This record gives sequence, C-alpha cells and structure tokens, in this order.
Amino acid sequence: MANVPTDQEALDAIREELANIKVPGAEQATADQTWADLDVDSLDLVEVVKALEDRYDVQIADGRLKSIATVGDAAALVQELTREKEGATA
Amino acid sequence: VSVVVTGRGVVSSIGESPDAFFESLLAKRSGIADGIGACVDFDPETTMTPKEARRADRYTQLAVGAADQAVAEAGLPDGVDPERLGVLVGTGVGGLVTLQAECEAWLEGGDRAVSPHFVPMMMPNAAAGTIAIRIGAHGPGFSVSSACATGGHAIGEAMRMIDRGEADAVVAGGTEAALTGLCIAAFRRMGALSREGVSRPFDAGRDGFVMGEGAAVLVLEREEHAKARGAQIFARVVGYGASNDAFHITQPDENGRGAKQAMLATLKDAGAATGDVGYINAHGTSTPFNDKIETLAIKQVFNGSATPPPVSSTKSHIGHLLGAAGAVEALVLVEAVRRGVLPPTINYEQPDPDCDLDYVPEGPREAPGLELALSNSFGFGGQNACLAVAKA
Repeated sequence: MANVPTDQEALDAIREELANIKVPGAEQATADQTWADLDVDSLDLVEVVKALEDRYDVQIADGRLKSIATVGDAAALVQELTREKEGATA
Repeated sequence: VSVVVTGRGVVSSIGESPDAFFESLLAKRSGIADGIGACVDFDPETTMTPKEARRADRYTQLAVGAADQAVAEAGLPDGVDPERLGVLVGTGVGGLVTLQAECEAWLEGGDRAVSPHFVPMMMPNAAAGTIAIRIGAHGPGFSVSSACATGGHAIGEAMRMIDRGEADAVVAGGTEAALTGLCIAAFRRMGALSREGVSRPFDAGRDGFVMGEGAAVLVLEREEHAKARGAQIFARVVGYGASNDAFHITQPDENGRGAKQAMLATLKDAGAATGDVGYINAHGTSTPFNDKIETLAIKQVFNGSATPPPVSSTKSHIGHLLGAAGAVEALVLVEAVRRGVLPPTINYEQPDPDCDLDYVPEGPREAPGLELALSNSFGFGGQNACLAVAKA
C-alpha cells in the first residue's frame, strides 16, 4: 500500500494543484474548506481533478465530482481510488 | 443627446497611460521591433490577480488594463445606476493566443488535454464580460467585431446606446492580441504585411502593415449625467458613420466609395461641414491599396472646400492593432483636440503622387484652433466606421 497517500500527503498534493492554478491561500488550504471557500469554481475543479488523476494515475468519474464538496473529500477520494488500484494490481 | 468622454485608458507598445502614449506619439517614438509592435512591458498582474490573469486570454488582459485606467479616471462605478452602465468592447479575432495553444494541446493530448477555460478565454465577448464583472455593470454589454474597424464601431455604437437612452455611461473600446505565429503567417500569406517590417503610411515605399497589439477604452457618458456628478470632461464624441463597401472581402472599393460614405455620414451626424474638420486620423495602414484609396476618399469628401485638413497615421508608431486600432485612434482624437496638437506620421520619407495630402511628417504640429477631428477605420469584410470628436 506504499502508493496510497497519507492524509497529509493527499492534502499537500491538493494544495500543490490549487497553487498551480493560482488559487489564493492554496498553501494553507484545510481539509474542511469547501471549493466555494477557496473561490474554486466548477471550471477550476475540472483542472484540479485532471491534475490529481494524472498524479496518481487514477480516473475520477464525472459522477463522483458531486460527492467531493471539500478539500478533505477530494483527499479521501484520492486515497480510496489509489487503494482500489493497489488492490487490483496486488 | 450630447455624449462626452469622462475616462481614458490605453495599453500600447509606446505607453500604458493616455499621457505616456500620446507623449510618445509627439516624441516620434516607435513601438515596433523585429517587425511587430508587442506590448513587451505589459504585466497583466498589475490589474488582475494571478488566478484572474491565468483564466484570461491576453486580449482580455490588455482590455482590462485599459479599462481599469478609464474607469478609475471616470470615478466609476460610483455615481451611476449599475443597470445604466454598459460595456461594449470589441475585438477583431478574440482569444487567438488561447485558440492556438489549445489546438496544439488537443492535437497532442486529445480531448482530455483541452482546458475547461478554453471557451471563456477564447470567445470574443470575454473582454467585455470580464470588465462588466469587475465593475458590476448590469447595463447592455457585448462585443462588436468588424476586423480592423472594430474599435471605431465599438465607440460609435456605444455613443448610439447613450443616444437611444439605454445607458448613462458605457465603457467602450477595442482590444487585440493576435501576435501568434499562426496569425502572423496568415496575414503574411495574404501579402498584407510589410516585408521590410516598417510601417510607413502614405510613403511611396510602403509595402504593407506591421502587426501590433494593445487596447484602448474610453468611458462615454451622457453629458448631463457627467455634469451632474461633477465628472471631468475630456472631449465630446459628436459623430459616427458606418458603411459597407460591399465590394470585396479584403480589398477596399477602388473608388473609395465606402470610406467616403462613412466620412460624410459622420459629418452629417455631427451637424458639421467639411470646413469644420481640423484633423483626420487616418486608417493609414501602410498597405499600397489602403493609403491610396483613403487619400482619394478624403479628397472626394473635401471636394469643393479649400484643402483637406492635415491627415496623420499613428499606425506608423505602433503598427496595426486590428480590432483595437479604432479605439486607440479615438483616444488620439481626444488628446489631439484636448491639447491642440497633431501627432505626426513617422517613417514618411518619399512622397507618392497618389498620396498627395499633408500627412504631418515633420513632427508634432501645434493646432491651437483645433475644434473637430475625424478618425477613419476600415475593416476586412468591407466594413467601415468613422468617428468625429470635438473639443470639450
């Protein structure tokens, strides 16, 4: 399970991707913040999701986007998907 | 209804404020290097946050840079009903930098590589929409597009919007950022660009235009509204005329019919006679055709009066800004009537028998009696706009 990010690693990855699209306060983003709190709109979120997919080599189905309302939700989803992938290849 | 100018803004290769820009014209400065007039000093992050700038094409960034100056100078949006504040900013080609980059990304990486910001960055009304968001303008808003006449049409249609009673103030102008490899190649393939890379309007050795980029925005306002809120008035926009050559998709009508018609319509709209015109800022692209035919059209308009007034082309300094050109040149008129001085045509060395007007080649010329000036803009598609600006 070495490739499943820890809570902190997943949070840091999301902070990094938010910083890449120049979101103010990206480095200090917290798990309980919503996208609206960060002024991240649906277009920005498409970019963040694609970046996370590329980073972890996973696919986030469009249907899952509704379930990720906060930074923490996205971190948990990334952990879930990487865990599934690890399971499949183990 | 009397329409006045209460705010001015410009981003150009020779200055990023009305004063810096106009003083560069008077100093005969050129913003052209290596055959293009790029705004090399422009930093979008002086007006936009890094995230806003990243989500905007360069043509919108330039427009926002100019609009912020104009809106601040006019003291807007305070003092105006937001539903009566319009935004009418045009572009000739829209977000071409973005379009080219996204085409490359798509060809290389497929659908998934296309940015979700592509459409709102590329669309030609993005600049007008972005400006409206920034200032909370809820009145009429859109872009106009008529290639190289866009800026003239935008200012003229904004004047009409106020005249029709649809708005008390309109943020109006033109913007262009088309200095991409694809677009430069396209104009070169048409034979429209100067091989020499020099803009020398009306000169016998002219061989095409030089592409430039930039934006200019004016705040037009109903005079009574401006006076009631104590706004400073820089000039009046007193006439506008539009016409179609209906001749050829890129070549001007060889008899100058559309150009002449636009100038005459503008004079009529302004209630002015040819003898009232003290200066013409020419379309003056530096192509063999345009400058010859524009000269012919001006002579036809002034037929019967004394001699036509002095004519200069500020495209000699900054190149051809396509959809921004007419707006930049409207600003030139505002400054010329306000200061009583005519900007020169630079790079003019060798007279052409077909271009036999006074092109102000020697340098800036004092014109203390200047009351009324015209600006011509002629676009591919055969679409023409002419504006008349008068001293405040």
